[in-house]
Amino acid sequence: MTTIEKLTTIFRVVFDNDEINLRPEMTANDVDGWDSLSYVNLIIAVEKGFGIKFTQKEIMSFKNVGDLSRCIDSKFAER
Amino acid sequence: MQTALIRSGQFNIGHLCSRFQCDLGLGGKTALRWLGAHEERVDYTFSDLERHSSRFANVLQRLGFSPGEVFFIFLPKVPEVYFTFLGALKARLITGTLFSNFGEEALLDRLGDAGAKVVLTRHSYLKKLLRIRERLPSLRHIILVDANEHQSADILSYAQLMKNASDDYETPVTPPETPSVLHYTSGSTGKPKGALHCHRSVLLQSRTAAEVLSLQPHDLYWCTADHGWVTGTSYGIIGPWSLGITQVHFGGAYDAAKWLQILEQYRITIWYTAPTALRMLMREDPALFERVDLSRLRHIFSVGEPLNPEVISWARKALRHDIYDTWWQTETGAIMITNRPGLAIKPGSMGKPLAGVEAAVVADDGRVLPDNEQGNLCLKPGWDAMFISYFHHEDVYRQKFKHGWYWTGDTAYRDQDGYYWFQGRSDDVINTSGHLVSPFEVESALLEVPGIAESGVIGAPDELHWQKIVAFVALHKGYEWNSDLALKARLHISNRVSPMATPQEFYVLAHIPKTKSGKIMRRVLRARYLGTDAGDVSTLDI
Repeated sequence: MTTIEKLTTIFRVVFDNDEINLRPEMTANDVDGWDSLSYVNLIIAVEKGFGIKFTQKEIMSFKNVGDLSRCIDSKFAER
Repeated sequence: MQTALIRSGQFNIGHLCSRFQCDLGLGGKTALRWLGAHEERVDYTFSDLERHSSRFANVLQRLGFSPGEVFFIFLPKVPEVYFTFLGALKARLITGTLFSNFGEEALLDRLGDAGAKVVLTRHSYLKKLLRIRERLPSLRHIILVDANEHQSADILSYAQLMKNASDDYETPVTPPETPSVLHYTSGSTGKPKGALHCHRSVLLQSRTAAEVLSLQPHDLYWCTADHGWVTGTSYGIIGPWSLGITQVHFGGAYDAAKWLQILEQYRITIWYTAPTALRMLMREDPALFERVDLSRLRHIFSVGEPLNPEVISWARKALRHDIYDTWWQTETGAIMITNRPGLAIKPGSMGKPLAGVEAAVVADDGRVLPDNEQGNLCLKPGWDAMFISYFHHEDVYRQKFKHGWYWTGDTAYRDQDGYYWFQGRSDDVINTSGHLVSPFEVESALLEVPGIAESGVIGAPDELHWQKIVAFVALHKGYEWNSDLALKARLHISNRVSPMATPQEFYVLAHIPKTKSGKIMRRVLRARYLGTDAGDVSTLDI
């Protein structure tokens, strides 16, 4: 399973929407319910799903799904 | 204003915001400058508003809906929100709006209580509605804005309905007391209640848009509030359009750079926003504000939570403007106590009552308190935008009026200069980012999470959101609090109620403190969280 595929599964649970199909360029404007309030839930779920921790700086820097995916991949590459 | 706005006894908000403006010669003027999330821009004139809203009024009539029946909009910001809001009001349906991030429990509470007959939504939200459909016996139709064809006998396509509808709709003369807009608001006990307004409210919404927001014919106005919130309808639709003002609405998510770009590029002159948004902007790189040209901006207004003095101070430097804090409630329908241009700002204060609005700080026994004494903030009933009922809960409505005053539920004091200062709530309702959240709603939803036996929820001070939601839980035997359960609880609240109701912190207790009659003692939880004295605990069930 690719990172994007795994993220898709997490997004579907967090936003209660089985129709989400993530692409790297997608932003909060492309996913119903993705706003500053639900972002905290999303980050916690992604951290838990991948077994990683983001820094505050990283959390603030994600502009789209691609940023998030690349950050996850880089954390695994460092291991 | 009143004389000019109301002619031949026609108080209909839908009419006054569209056809009336065309009759005044503004048909060709831009009413809505729609900015989509992906940079698309569409201008709709007042003639467009008139045409689309009339079509939708005809759609509702053709589907057999009658005045007084309830229509709800369950959508994020899209242009159809505005057309259908005005169209349903033209047809004299009671028109409710819902936050698009509401979960099914929140939807069920509101749609079920109101006996909603028709809901406008889109495909991606349909699943939530279908899950509760069987528990909504009054619901006859769901209309989808993004379906090209009808999906079934009762799930219909907006496009198809509108295509077959006439542009012509003669709005019946609508008396001022005719029910109009319905917004659900949370209390500390029980389910949310629907604050019902009537078409008369347009008088005060229009007047305050002119006198407080200082809107003038050439203005470009941007209200960032979602229509699920009363600000989004009173001042994101009704007030400005009743004055023929051009409004910008942005369909994208919060993005500091984008917001500043909108202010600059679209030459916004009056901006109405919320303290949480301003505090989020405060966290941005100061260089962002140095680059932006806000010379067109005349005034900034804020609503939702008290505005901290440091936000005003920051805005003076970063935005080169004052921010005028306005105070009002879902129930008041329009601005009541406010800072405004021409009135010296005392940072942190609510300002002074609007002319014609009588406010007072009242003791629990009904005595009006002298200056500088804290008490219950009350208003003398009778202002034009006052709610006319809690829909289907007349008894609760009556309880809001005592000793000749409307009791707002807020506490405050008035200083010697007549300025009011917000002190807090007299009940347990939580104000997080301007949204009132009922602890009861969150506590009830937490009990649905496997493993959670008891719950108690409070609001705690928060730098960004004014208050954050803090949950205390007691677990069933055999369960252990861990990150899995915490995430389950968070997502459950987020999806069943709404993200704004999600607790930011959880604490596990052996038991939730309750009175001997079983009432959750939130004040004990609050004291425990803040490390203060819990006061009298003689009724605590130990």
